[in-house]
Amino acid sequence: MIDVRHVTKKFGEGATAVMALEDVSLIIPEGSFFTLLGPSGCGKTTLLRLIAGFELPSEGEIRLDGDSIGHLPPHKRPVNTVFQNYALFPHMSVARNIGFGLEMLKRPKTEIAATIEEMLDLVQLGAFAARRVDQLSGGQQQRVALARALAPRPKVLLLDEPLSALDLKLRKGMQSELKRLQAETGITFVFVTHDQSEALAMSDQIAVMSAGAVQQVGTPEDIYTAPQSRFVADFIGDTNIVTGELLGYDGPMAQIRFGEGRSLSVKTASATLVPGPVHVALRPETITICDAASDAALLIGTVRDATYFGAGSQMSIRLEDGTEIQAQVDRPSPAGTLVGLNCDSAMLQVLAD
Amino acid sequence: MADIVQQPATGSQNLQQAVQARAKAKRRVRLFLLLPALGIIGIFGLAPLSIALIYSFLEPGTYGGVEWSFSTDAYVQFLFERDIFDDTLGFNSAYLQIFGRSFGLAILTMCGTLMLGFPVAYFIAARPPEQRNAWLFAITLPFWTNLLIRTYSMLLIVRDEGFINLALMKLGVIGAPMQMLYTDGAVLAGLVYSYLPFMILPIYASLEKFDFALLEAGHDLYASRIQVFRHIIIPISRPGIVAGCALVLIPALGAYITPELLGGGKKLMIGNLIAMQFGSGRNWPFGSAAALILMAVVLIALLLSLRAGAEKENRHG
Ligand SMILES: Nc1ncnc2c1ncn2[C@@H]1O[C@H](COP(=O)(O)OP(=O)(O)O)[C@@H](O)[C@H]1O
Ligand SMILES: [Mg+2]
Repeated sequence: MIDVRHVTKKFGEGATAVMALEDVSLIIPEGSFFTLLGPSGCGKTTLLRLIAGFELPSEGEIRLDGDSIGHLPPHKRPVNTVFQNYALFPHMSVARNIGFGLEMLKRPKTEIAATIEEMLDLVQLGAFAARRVDQLSGGQQQRVALARALAPRPKVLLLDEPLSALDLKLRKGMQSELKRLQAETGITFVFVTHDQSEALAMSDQIAVMSAGAVQQVGTPEDIYTAPQSRFVADFIGDTNIVTGELLGYDGPMAQIRFGEGRSLSVKTASATLVPGPVHVALRPETITICDAASDAALLIGTVRDATYFGAGSQMSIRLEDGTEIQAQVDRPSPAGTLVGLNCDSAMLQVLAD
Repeated sequence: MADIVQQPATGSQNLQQAVQARAKAKRRVRLFLLLPALGIIGIFGLAPLSIALIYSFLEPGTYGGVEWSFSTDAYVQFLFERDIFDDTLGFNSAYLQIFGRSFGLAILTMCGTLMLGFPVAYFIAARPPEQRNAWLFAITLPFWTNLLIRTYSMLLIVRDEGFINLALMKLGVIGAPMQMLYTDGAVLAGLVYSYLPFMILPIYASLEKFDFALLEAGHDLYASRIQVFRHIIIPISRPGIVAGCALVLIPALGAYITPELLGGGKKLMIGNLIAMQFGSGRNWPFGSAAALILMAVVLIALLLSLRAGAEKENRHG
């Protein structure tokens, strides 16, 4: 288990100082596939480098299985990294790259040879042991980098956007391969990506980051169906954010009304909002279209256009208050028609901001 | 060949002839294009060597030049001394000693430039790309002045009334000037100074594209700083180190100006010995022979080290 406690990382001093991380606290469970998700520049790489030991925290503490490791040099931490550009040693064969960690740990030669063998099998590169790394394709180099980082059996494996350099098809393959490797080895994976679909597909837990802070931590389902803030709702998929009126609370549920419609019981990210206008997340695929005059209509809007995408159509609708929202439907209504929008109220979520 | 004969159609035979004719024409054009390069190698490389080789087997003329009669005296003279009275040969190690000192000084020069040059080259390679050219310019700046002038200024610094002695005496560290000029130390310092850029530049070239993420990768995989240096930095810069060593060692062996000025003609190196034979010594054949012996030794050493390097490569696979 990794326990990141109130970690702050500042680069530089004075007026030009950059706050890369600000008071970040996280618990990464042992043996989990944990993803740091956020837009470029939000501090994902910095957090990873702090765990690896390439940077030292300005403030705060990092614990691994209870021991404080925040101030150890990288070669004294049982943590290995798969670098974004692989950083394979160009002057060594594939086998020696994989064995390098164990060689530095002064393990017996027979053990090293056996582990190299095992790792080559694990990443299906058995035939390439004697190759030089620059004779490999990008995908193969990727797998050598993985094998090299896994060979010393670290407690934690850090992966910094490892798939971003691969083309789409290869990336899908590597996603399931990484999942398989994590399950087979039981090692804690901390995976960095800015691609939300990748994060949702692979993770046991996701920490969504923005501007040096952790916005929300949860399972992919949590993050997707119950975003806490506008940032998370916006970042995960193409969520619509509409304005509703908070009437009050009924236990853990918020009472919401859209326009002059009926009141709905909706999940909420915060139980302390004051009654009045609040933001509600509404997923495009949960929307159904109905007659504008019908009782079922929660919201009313005008169809702007529709785009066919194979499995259905994406309709762009302008609400009465001017908000533009997206809805995925089987059969789109023609542009210009007034339509009613309906949605299972269990799929709505009141946001904290 | 057999299947060519079996081909039935004359059409394909014609084709074959056409292909052969074209290949022939191509070879001729290629030979023609090679002529300038071959000419230059011939005129500036092989011709002087041949002249030296021929001269080394002739007899010295009284006032310099050569007498056109065959003799191996020049080579014999290198190791033996002819007794003036009874004409017998006795072993003479004087020239061997000069060779020995030259190799010693040249190897020390190589080590010195490596120790100083490697950190400098690494430092430059670690700068942001836009700063590197300025550093490289600073390194090559001394080349803009003549070696003779640079060596003279060195002489002014190390002589008895020179900068170092004056400063040390002012500070009261020493009472009388230290003898620094005309010592092996002065020659070595001069050589290291002169040849340092020849070490820095090739090592820099081998590190220029160095991916510094490899250092982090090494640390991440449990290598200490020293192990990262040994297992990652050194092997990757090896081609530069080998080139730098050759570029320093070979010209340092034949150095002339530096030992002449800083060694004061007392601490001879091969270069001075050879120059002397063509000047005051008036023994051109011996000068030629000494030059060829030097070249042979260097070539053999180079071949041996190349073979050792190749074997090492093979072992690591
Ligand atoms: N070594 C550094 N020096 C100065 N600023 C840095 C350094 N490393 C990262 N930063 C800054 O910290 C912020 C977070 O960067 P990073 O962790 O790389 O983000 P991400 O990986 O999420 O894209 C950025 O604003 C970046 O410019
Ligand atoms: Mg990054």
